[in-house]
Amino acid sequence: MSTPVAEVLRLSELRVQFPDARGRWIARLDGISLAVERGEAVAIVGEPGSGKTLVAMSVLGLIPPRGHVSGSIRLLGHELVGLVEPEWWRVRGRDVAMVFADARHSLNPIRRVGSQIEEAVERHYEGFPHALTRRWVRERALEALAEAGVARPRVRFNDYPHQLVGDLRQRVMIALAGANKPPLYIADEPTAGITDSVRAQVMLHMLRRLLNTAALLLMTRDPSTAAAVCKRVAVIHAGRIVETGAADRIVTAPRHPYTAEQLGVAPVTDATAVNPIRPGCAFAARCPNAMEQCRRLRPPLEPLDDRLVACWNPWGGDA
Amino acid sequence: MGLQAHTESAAPKAASGLILMLFIKPISRQTAVVAVLRNNHLTRIRRSTTARWRPATPSGQVVAPPIDAGSKLVSVEARRWEGDRHGLGARVGMRLAYRAVQLAAVLVTAATLLFVLVRVSSSPAALLAGAGASQAQIRAARLGYGLDGPILNQYVTFMVRGLRLDFGWSPVHQALALELVRQRLPATLVLSACVLALTGLVAVSLGVWLGLRAGRPEHGWAFRLLLTGQSLPALAVGLVLFQVFGLTPASAAGSPLRFSLSVLTLTWWLVPRVARFTAGTVAAAAHQSWVLTARAMGATSRELLWSHVLPNSLLVALALAGVQVAFLLSSTVVVEWLFGWPGLGELLAGSLRTGDFPVVEATVFMIAIVVFAVYAAVDLALAAVDPRVRKAPSPAAV
Amino acid sequence: MTGPMLAQEMGVSRRLMPMPAIPAPGLLIGGAIGLALAAMLGLVGAGLAHEHIASAQRLVPPGTLDHPLGTDQLGRDVLARTLEGFRWSLAVVVPATAIAALVGTTLGLAAAANGGWTRTILESCAETAAGFPFFILAAPIIALAGRGYGPLLVALAILSSAPFALAVFESTWGGRYPIPVTPAFHAVRTALPVVSAFILADLVVAEACLSFLGVGASASAPSWGNMLADAQQTVAAAPWLLYVPATALLLTVVSANWFGEGLGQIWTPTVGSPQETWRFREDPGSSGPIR
Repeated sequence: MSTPVAEVLRLSELRVQFPDARGRWIARLDGISLAVERGEAVAIVGEPGSGKTLVAMSVLGLIPPRGHVSGSIRLLGHELVGLVEPEWWRVRGRDVAMVFADARHSLNPIRRVGSQIEEAVERHYEGFPHALTRRWVRERALEALAEAGVARPRVRFNDYPHQLVGDLRQRVMIALAGANKPPLYIADEPTAGITDSVRAQVMLHMLRRLLNTAALLLMTRDPSTAAAVCKRVAVIHAGRIVETGAADRIVTAPRHPYTAEQLGVAPVTDATAVNPIRPGCAFAARCPNAMEQCRRLRPPLEPLDDRLVACWNPWGGDA
Repeated sequence: MGLQAHTESAAPKAASGLILMLFIKPISRQTAVVAVLRNNHLTRIRRSTTARWRPATPSGQVVAPPIDAGSKLVSVEARRWEGDRHGLGARVGMRLAYRAVQLAAVLVTAATLLFVLVRVSSSPAALLAGAGASQAQIRAARLGYGLDGPILNQYVTFMVRGLRLDFGWSPVHQALALELVRQRLPATLVLSACVLALTGLVAVSLGVWLGLRAGRPEHGWAFRLLLTGQSLPALAVGLVLFQVFGLTPASAAGSPLRFSLSVLTLTWWLVPRVARFTAGTVAAAAHQSWVLTARAMGATSRELLWSHVLPNSLLVALALAGVQVAFLLSSTVVVEWLFGWPGLGELLAGSLRTGDFPVVEATVFMIAIVVFAVYAAVDLALAAVDPRVRKAPSPAAV
Repeated sequence: MTGPMLAQEMGVSRRLMPMPAIPAPGLLIGGAIGLALAAMLGLVGAGLAHEHIASAQRLVPPGTLDHPLGTDQLGRDVLARTLEGFRWSLAVVVPATAIAALVGTTLGLAAAANGGWTRTILESCAETAAGFPFFILAAPIIALAGRGYGPLLVALAILSSAPFALAVFESTWGGRYPIPVTPAFHAVRTALPVVSAFILADLVVAEACLSFLGVGASASAPSWGNMLADAQQTVAAAPWLLYVPATALLLTVVSANWFGEGLGQIWTPTVGSPQETWRFREDPGSSGPIR
């Protein structure tokens, strides 16, 4: 079916602000603009605290009410900023689904895994419930488990979460997210609970398979993981996107000093220093390329070579 | 084909597997186990005590799955954790055995303490016979407890008599101490049951209401109010009710009014405690990750509350409630005495005043048994509801 | 309990929410004031003239200048007796708590410091003893040993040392973790005052109940329990005999509980407090939010 909406998600100048203890508003996401198309995987890379999880939370509407969300989030053309909670109940799990990082505690320990997936399917069941609905729901849940690469789904269906090993639990989380075949998946650090690199590869392969039908937004702190799965990468620092472009290009030749630092090609200076003057570049306090202008003026996200970079004095290049 | 077909066929296959294991020779048993595993139909296999169980790959090693195996990826390590290693209910059995050991320890300690105190008193025989005993009864007590022999023998006799539940004759009530206790027990149980029912209703609602408002202003003062309410001793509350309702010590002992006031007093004592920790467990449960997961999958607030928050929080609250019920018994003693409700507590209080030792001993034993029976019941209830207690533990975080 | 409120509180990343600072110290200050008041009243009461039995002035209602709070059946001044009750109760309960703290902490530290079977046995003993209502054992022990100050003190002290042992042990070992969570000294420093305050409150109540039942203080001692037992006889005619000692009892117990709770909210978040919701333990296999 030819769908006119090839673009699944578009964030335009998304700004999320929280009041601090003294009542001043602090923008934890400051003007994020991003687009994800169907069949595309986009990674958001940044250190912990840079705002990746906030992006995921705002797309799902899980920002607490004391936070103020402005800008635009368009999912399949529908605006998500300004939705009230009951409207969100129809969006979450059906049009966008999230795969959480720490699967160890992300499933209810006193309920069977299968019943939790069934619950997600049943919730968004569209149609009049009839005698065969339960069977259909169960079949769909088993299908979701199989699609996520869980061997012997009928056996795993009756297991409790604590009976599963690490990557099996992660697959169950993927199955849960995919229960209603949402057009957009958000994966928040999916390999965080897996130490074996082989299994991590398997996990990423699993995520790639989702791209057959849907779009994927991947949050990670490791640029190489991002490059393994995604074609496009956006590097985020202190709530702003500092570099975005093709994944393989950015990983091999970073142009923003922060990206270079994350990849290990730039020296790591004092990681806790943050430029307190918000109008300026947030990275200025620890940037090896910092100039006087960087502290006062915020660099816009501009095209540079084959990507967009927000920097007055980019890393690398010819000069 | 639906899931029903699978579950129906699982039972006969499990049975056949077990039969194979039990009736075939050890070597063949091992083969049978491996064969059954390979059939991939069983989820639980009792580990045979003689067959040595090996993982069902030829070399016994964990095989790393190839990357491009598509959807047939097999998690071999998961297979190793299949099944209930210790057998269904073994962990619960150990827990119950522990409760029995605790009960035994408490009874032995209590009996020893009582023995020591009796022995160092001026006239142990008179004490053991109970106040108001005749000379003949005192002599009988001296013989029965072996008070003329060496002290170790006396101790052993005392213990053995306690073990046989032979507590002696009460001169005050003119009945066997054990009989008295047995007669009085139902009254206390009825009182406790009413108190627990009422508390469950009030305290759990209050606790849930409070727990869901954690972090908001009304939580603070409601919490302080509960704390103050909890600080009011049952004695004071009971006496105030006593006075307000115009009771006198001489009026009808088992009347419904007195029963209701006893229930009211004990409920007043128990509700703040239960409400406080219920609020705590609900508040904690509301912030667990699985609630966030469910919410992110579109669960409505009602679903979140009833399917995810309440079951988990009430589970923990149940465990904590056991301790409170045990301590309810000590308040019950005072309240029963105060309102003259003819239960175990009133028996204990009365016999302490009159120095009726056999009844004292019997009552203490009975209360100890009740306390640990309550703990054991709570353990069983938890095991029934919480699969983490029943099933084998998960492997360390991979 | 529904929609909007849940939506607000759930799914909050803890990093995003500002941690509440030290809470309104109302509980702590109120409790401290109450306890100080109780101690002062006890000292004041010691200075007042001893109650004297004056048969001509029995059951005088409160209000007169001579006897501001009335007199009881034997003509003793209620105010004087109540003030003496402060002294008596505190004289029993404070040493009992101190002894229990000493014994319990030693056992708890011994349990925490050793490993293997010693620790298992000590921990099990402490758990068993703390789980059994000590009142049930205290009453027969005192009844057999005789009423009075000594037996009461010893019984209360020995029987309430288990909670201290358990608190110290749990603070050091965190219940289930295989490594010590906090060093012993810090554990003792944080756990001890909180538990002491709560045990103090419990012991005041226990002493009053035991005396009420007639197996605590000797018959003429100015214990509130005795006064309450006497009051029960003539409660219809002389309600002030009930309310005065009950209020004194209430003051002491409420103060001790408030103090313990206030202290605990700062050092160890307790069940249901605002701090607890932000510091809950994430391990679902742990012993739960209660400490």
